[in-house]
Amino acid sequence: MEVLSGWWDDFFWGSVVVAQVFLASLVLMVIFGLIGAAAKLSDSRFAQKIANGYTIVFRGTPEILVILLLYFGSAITLTAIAQLFNPEIKFLDVPPFWAGTIAIALIVGSYATETFRGAFLGVKPGSIEAAQALGMSTLQVFVYVRVPEMWRLALPAFGNHMLSLIKDTALISIIGLNETLFVAKQAIGTTGKPFTMYIVVGLIYLGFSTVITLTVMGLERYGHRHMRAAT
Amino acid sequence: MTSPQPLIQMQNVDKYFGNFQALKKINLSVSKGERIVVCGPSGSGKSTMIRCINRLEKHNGGTIIIDGIELTDDLKDLNAVRREVGMVFQSFNLFPHMTIMNNLMLAQKLVRKTPKAEAREVAMHYLERVKIPEQAEKYPIQLSGGQQQRVAIARALCMKPEVILFDEPTSALDPEMINEVLEVMVDLARDGMTMICVTHEMGFARSVADRVIFMDAGEIVEEAEPETFFNAPKNDRTKLFLSQILSH
Repeated sequence: MEVLSGWWDDFFWGSVVVAQVFLASLVLMVIFGLIGAAAKLSDSRFAQKIANGYTIVFRGTPEILVILLLYFGSAITLTAIAQLFNPEIKFLDVPPFWAGTIAIALIVGSYATETFRGAFLGVKPGSIEAAQALGMSTLQVFVYVRVPEMWRLALPAFGNHMLSLIKDTALISIIGLNETLFVAKQAIGTTGKPFTMYIVVGLIYLGFSTVITLTVMGLERYGHRHMRAAT
Repeated sequence: MTSPQPLIQMQNVDKYFGNFQALKKINLSVSKGERIVVCGPSGSGKSTMIRCINRLEKHNGGTIIIDGIELTDDLKDLNAVRREVGMVFQSFNLFPHMTIMNNLMLAQKLVRKTPKAEAREVAMHYLERVKIPEQAEKYPIQLSGGQQQRVAIARALCMKPEVILFDEPTSALDPEMINEVLEVMVDLARDGMTMICVTHEMGFARSVADRVIFMDAGEIVEEAEPETFFNAPKNDRTKLFLSQILSH
């Protein structure tokens, strides 16, 4: 334990970064998933093709590769644009936090697309028709009927997506984000204790995933509140 | 007796599902306050016909005019029409994730822009009318089928529609629950509500209908007052149908 003294601060702030990446990518992931599912279920062949391309690419390539490509791809583009205005600039990048967050949100969002699509198809058409018959607009039906009924069906798989997200945050250390794994590598460099440091990272992630699992269980109970018959 | 313009007017309405013609040149005119019962064998187009009236199905030919508004692809007009046309479904179709009270308040708030307190008052009024105010805070699944259907009727009434369409409202119910729903419907009819009911409840047809319409193979085969319809049907298909459902 003594080797850890002096590193607690860094691990704590690394954990804060993990939490921030997780929350930001969670919001983006839901948005990407909903847009993807809506596109796949739309009547537009064009939208369907775009969404299919999205899920094929992001479900079919290694996650670490997506992160690297997105980071260096955006950096090269940004640098090229910046050099048009100021040839002195050598290298300009999108902050690793955002490059990484967007990358893992896109990856997990492609899985969520399929989850949401299936869940939307599982909503009984009856209540949708009833809402339409009451004069509700397409958007109102979506927000007040389709989504609230869909998310209960999507929740079990969605819990898995959240676990994927939290674990994927560790991959972002490769582009220099100072999250827990990045901290561990630095600590190993000075202390020479890889096992201890990696165990600490593992425990931190276990803590995060336990919180997520308990949250999903709570949400499932809430989602099923109306399924419990009166006693 | 004759109002200047009927509330619902269908002229030469055709409806196709792929190559199958579900409705063939339907002509139907319903005035304010009229109570129409539609019957006929399954697959005869009864449900399709009333679903065309609030455009849950789009017709492929002819015209449908509701309260002076023709049903076209113009969306703004469509939701204006749907506000005025209530519908009660065979399988109730309540919103399962909402309490009974919220089922009744949702469209009032979103579509009619009724303030929340007033919407709650209106909802309670109609729950009392269908005789289940004590169920307001429960979820649909906690209610019996008959109770759920009465909630569905109350939900339609909360919008203060000009007409209510009933699509086989008692077909999914256990026999002992049919009467509690029919009683509510009879009550509505007595109050002068314009109603179009697809139903095989012939007792209901006899006691409240102004006209009974018999459909077969996508056509309106016979249309008459209940007295004439049941005692002296003209068409052979009507006679056969009546003998089948009234024989036991």
